Amino acid sequence: MFNSDLTKHLAELSKIEFTDDELEQMTADMTNIIAIMDKVCEFDTSKPAYALDAVDYNDLRKDKHQSSYPTESITANAKNVKNNSFVVPKVV
Amino acid sequence: MRYQPVIGLEIHCELQTDSKVFCTCQNEFGGSENTRVCPRCSGMPGTLPLINQNAVRLAAKAGFATDGTVNNYSAFDRKNYFYPDLPKAYQITQFDHPITTGGYITVFNGNKMRIHHIHIEEDAGKLVHDDYEGISMADYNRCGVPLIEIVTEPDFRSVEEVQDFVEKIALRLKYAGVCDARMEQGSMRVDVNISIMPVGSTEFGTRAEIKNLNSVKAIGRAIEYEINRQAEILDNGGTVIQETRRFNDNHGDTKALRSKEEAHDYRYFPEPDIPPVWLSDEDIAEIKASMPEMPQSRFKRYTEEYGLPADDANLIISSKEFSDFYDEAVKINPDYKQISNLMLVELNRNLNESEKTISDVTFSPADLAELVKMSTDGVVSKNAAKDILKIMFDKGGKPMEIAKNNGFIMDNDASEIEEIVNRVIAENADSVESYKNGNQKIFGFLMGQVIRLAGKGANPKIAKDVLTEKLK
Amino acid sequence: MALKKLRKMLDEKEIGAVELTRRYLDKIEKTDKNVNSYITVCAESALESAKKAQELIDAGEAGAFTGLPISVKDNICTMGVKTTCASRMLEDFVPPYDATVIEKLKKDNFVMLGKTNMDEFAMGGSSQTSYFGGVKNPYDTSRVTGGSSGGAAASVAAGLCAAALGSDTGGSVRQPASFCGVTGLKPTYGAVSRWGLIAFASSLDQIGVIAESAEDTGYVLDGIYGYDANDATSSKKSYGNYTSLIGGDISKLKIGVPKEFFGDGLNDEVKTAVLRAVEYYKQLGCEIIDVSLPSLEYAVSAYYLISSAEAASNLSRFDGIKYGFRSGLGENFNDLIKNSRREGFGSEVKRRIMLGNYALCSGYYDAYYKNATRIRTQLRSEYAAIFDKCDVMLTPTAPTTAYKIGEQENDPVKMYLADIYTVTVNIAGLPAISTTCGYDSNGMPIGMSLIGRAFDEKTIIAVCDRFEKDFERKECAL
Repeated sequence: MFNSDLTKHLAELSKIEFTDDELEQMTADMTNIIAIMDKVCEFDTSKPAYALDAVDYNDLRKDKHQSSYPTESITANAKNVKNNSFVVPKVV
Repeated sequence: MRYQPVIGLEIHCELQTDSKVFCTCQNEFGGSENTRVCPRCSGMPGTLPLINQNAVRLAAKAGFATDGTVNNYSAFDRKNYFYPDLPKAYQITQFDHPITTGGYITVFNGNKMRIHHIHIEEDAGKLVHDDYEGISMADYNRCGVPLIEIVTEPDFRSVEEVQDFVEKIALRLKYAGVCDARMEQGSMRVDVNISIMPVGSTEFGTRAEIKNLNSVKAIGRAIEYEINRQAEILDNGGTVIQETRRFNDNHGDTKALRSKEEAHDYRYFPEPDIPPVWLSDEDIAEIKASMPEMPQSRFKRYTEEYGLPADDANLIISSKEFSDFYDEAVKINPDYKQISNLMLVELNRNLNESEKTISDVTFSPADLAELVKMSTDGVVSKNAAKDILKIMFDKGGKPMEIAKNNGFIMDNDASEIEEIVNRVIAENADSVESYKNGNQKIFGFLMGQVIRLAGKGANPKIAKDVLTEKLK
Repeated sequence: MALKKLRKMLDEKEIGAVELTRRYLDKIEKTDKNVNSYITVCAESALESAKKAQELIDAGEAGAFTGLPISVKDNICTMGVKTTCASRMLEDFVPPYDATVIEKLKKDNFVMLGKTNMDEFAMGGSSQTSYFGGVKNPYDTSRVTGGSSGGAAASVAAGLCAAALGSDTGGSVRQPASFCGVTGLKPTYGAVSRWGLIAFASSLDQIGVIAESAEDTGYVLDGIYGYDANDATSSKKSYGNYTSLIGGDISKLKIGVPKEFFGDGLNDEVKTAVLRAVEYYKQLGCEIIDVSLPSLEYAVSAYYLISSAEAASNLSRFDGIKYGFRSGLGENFNDLIKNSRREGFGSEVKRRIMLGNYALCSGYYDAYYKNATRIRTQLRSEYAAIFDKCDVMLTPTAPTTAYKIGEQENDPVKMYLADIYTVTVNIAGLPAISTTCGYDSNGMPIGMSLIGRAFDEKTIIAVCDRFEKDFERKECAL
């Protein structure tokens, strides 16, 4: 059964902040959504899972480097850049 | 209580490819921040990974280097977690279908340390921390550098087994051209999973994972510390918790890296952007055929077939280039012992003095083989051979030419020597007198005079024989 | 106007490329405020391209797309032009590279009129979840366009471009085409490179075409299809010439009609119109075959679990650090990205991410994600069996016609269930085309879909074209 603890857990995995009201709404939405998703649980588990067709080793990209992009084109969309690096609040 | 450690390893190795694993940026160590980055490896929206064939090849070689099985079918998965050094917020790795399975390395005491599997993955970027401003700065140059992770079984029971395994696997990977295995630079990173159990028990304890071990020595210290830490907990009636710990080389201790409530759920699932890779039996055979002979096999050959002492054989195999040089030389002149001696003593002396490595040497193994032959054939003296080697090392050139140009060719004409000996005896009557009165030591002085006059090409044996005869 | 005709007019100088572009830009200026089909209009660069195009035309060096004014969905990366995915998260994102499809069209010097509105991150079937406001249906601006390529469909329907590039993950080209009374082609998975398409669900996403006719969709597909070394999932099995079967004899074809697509939940007016189309083909001499897709009942759930799982992972990169919206809140890394994602994403995107992580997380993976991929295998084999018996399958595109804005798009479950007729095509990786086959009592267009074998776009385009030639479309009000 879907509940707010599970919503909180998923919110943490999803890295999305929710207010209490939003969390309540999300729990309600998810409860309804999961109810239709439960349909798949009754499916025959002996069927094989889908996978893409394999590609031959010889068709893989050959190992030859090319020029990288100019640093400024990589950092141009970032809001906080220092020393040509992406800035975040200190981790560890 | 006495405890028995149970240890397993996870070894990350950067592959020596030209380009990164999923994009065409150059795979190289260091560099200014975000200079080897493209939309792909910086995780821009709309980009897709493109697997590097050589990364697959080198990973397969790592499997062969450890006697594992290279799988026909291998597939990629996403490992999802958020960290500022991981721009896509998932790492592409192999979860269900790794490139190789099985394999082992036999360590010094004859025990086989089994490898569970080897998989391919991508490296993350680097963070530089600024305590003053309270920020971390992400540089993605290392993002997408190809890695393999070698996962062992928990077969290790001592520090020595771990250290020997790490040294041996590093050497094999270098031989195979898979990884330069520089622990200090981080191109090979060893994580240690360690638990302890009472001696005699068969039930494993709860393990801790130790990270940040950047030398074989640090691995030893970290394991010792961890055994004591866990033993102390158990002796006091506590329980070891499963966690990741970081080794501090300065303090020689380990500290918990993240707390338990942040335990990860990586949500692995098949990477939809990369089709699985199929290696045909022919592909696998071709890769295998391209493997160089591994060090353990060379050691066996050197000691059993060539009759070299184990120490000498170990010295030769400690560098693939050195061993290759030796093998090329003995192919031309199968004088295993003399070539080994000349390389291990004289060549190494020259290398050490000039702070060069075998790859810097400009003369060929054939030149060295010839030099040894000239010496054993009596074309040049043993001492001259050393001098010739030094000239070859410093300036290059062929040994025979150097010998000729510098008068190293031994003169085997006794009559010429006889004249010189006569002259020396005539000019050093006092010394001759003294020798005849029993001063044996003066022979060396007289011999020196003969060699000085005869030049570098004098055959010392002939000179000695003639002088001895004349002094009778 | 048909692309072939426009091409001819440009080449024969009946109209100049600049004049043509200006006409479209003027119309956009005048009418798009009522439709909201564009997020970004590239007036200046479009005229610039048109000028260059005219030079090429004058020099006799025009290609198929030289000077043709085309709109591009705003989840396709365009170098130097904002690509927002209709999200606050990417409100000011300017890609440093072009998608492969853009690169291909640029080689011919096409004219990009602008970037079209859509559901945020292509998640939705109404085009009402856009951060830049919803798109309105040109047939009735109180109604939705469908989605997610609602801006693309509306831009074609309202005559605000000659053709449009869209994307289709679970029906996002076909359903809005159906709602807006135009033609939408979703190519086989792998036929068109995804390089530069901002991923929603990688294993299902495919760039498609919305245009006035089946022939036009084939015309555009000829310009954008093909293997691309930048996309490991693109295929070498496509050979182009997508309009080459048009005008040929289709009377020998076998058309499958799956009974599961005509059951409960299908609006009567839609059903009647689609069955009339079946009858049309029967009259032509085509053999109509009853076929079955027994696992259709699982399709919506399997589709939502797979697409949301992939989306949860694909959208994890949006953290406000490297690009996109960055919150002012958050003392540490974790809080910063949680707030950036809270403020940057709309509620439907959040629901999908939550659902995706539900499907993937420890303890639920086997029951949900894994089973969904088993259903995927099953649906693919059921389709294979169907195409053993027939050449083309004919279905309704959507259970209803365009509904009133605000009527159902706020009920996620209702919205999800409405995708029932389109999602299996993506799950099976097949090509499909939707065209108008009637109008309901409100005058809103009704769409039918023709589904083909993998890489057999030619056949469905020809079959669709045949119907269009005998069907009279109603002009939209705008």
